[in-house]
Amino acid sequence: MFRRLLITAGFLATLAGFFSNSNEADAGDPYAMTQVWAHNYAMDRPWHGGYYYQNSGVPQALIVPPTAHMRQTLSWGVSQNLMYPIYHQYGRSAGAPASGAQGRFRATPQWPSHTDQFGVNYVRGPW
Amino acid sequence: MKRQIINQLVCTAAVAVLATSVPSASAQSLGRGEQIVNAYVVSDTVVGGSGDCSSGSYVGDLANENASFDSSFDGESFAVGDYGTGCVGRKYGQPDLFYNYFTQGNCNAVNAQMYPSPGPVSPEVGNTYFTYQPFYPEEMLYTHKNRFHNYYDNGRGMNRTRAVYWTPPVRTAMSNFYWNYLRLPR
Repeated sequence: MFRRLLITAGFLATLAGFFSNSNEADAGDPYAMTQVWAHNYAMDRPWHGGYYYQNSGVPQALIVPPTAHMRQTLSWGVSQNLMYPIYHQYGRSAGAPASGAQGRFRATPQWPSHTDQFGVNYVRGPW
Repeated sequence: MKRQIINQLVCTAAVAVLATSVPSASAQSLGRGEQIVNAYVVSDTVVGGSGDCSSGSYVGDLANENASFDSSFDGESFAVGDYGTGCVGRKYGQPDLFYNYFTQGNCNAVNAQMYPSPGPVSPEVGNTYFTYQPFYPEEMLYTHKNRFHNYYDNGRGMNRTRAVYWTPPVRTAMSNFYWNYLRLPR
């Protein structure tokens, strides 16, 4: 009887381990230091690349969850697939250049060789 | 005792003078006709009126920290609840029903707003906004808890809504199993 109970408890614990969201974003970062780092990095880096999105003429922001950490770029060739942190996050204050000037960004090349050339950039949603 | 009363009287008179002289300077600090849903409003407090209150003169408005700032108290000089200059009055939150979000940073050649409606249009054309804050799409992005406070009755009452955003574990596990293992990659 006791053995069966023990087995059941172990099984339930295993199930709970499978189904619980143990990989939350704030795990291991109780003081949100990565938030501060990402914010500081975002302050002196643009959220966009040098290319515009074909449908809108300006770089396109793609909203990802605020718990997202990394983005991956794909390109031709070995060792061209790189991972970068996603620094930028949406915030309250409206930025100064609301719209970019025409011709400020390059078009996607006819034969794109890099995912950054499509002009879609990740920006994390607000908390 | 008598001296105390005289002191109090002097203080009251001084506060009253201050209170009556201040509003002319800062009554226009918040845009009166400004709409809540504006792409470029950057504030935590409601700006502008909301219908029944004629000019948005809530107690908790930034321009109405002092009772004498309220238009309904014109002509009277309240000394009891008033604050002199340099004092911080009691505030009641009047958060926006909706506000847009923007990309941040000093090096952006162009900034993106989070809710373009329906596409990237100029800010004069139109805006999307939701009237129920717990249903904001940005809340659905990740599992978390959030609380929403709604103030009513000129800041005297508060309604708190607690929302939990989570994924049902069994269904999510099944979905992940399908999308990560069973689905043919094509």
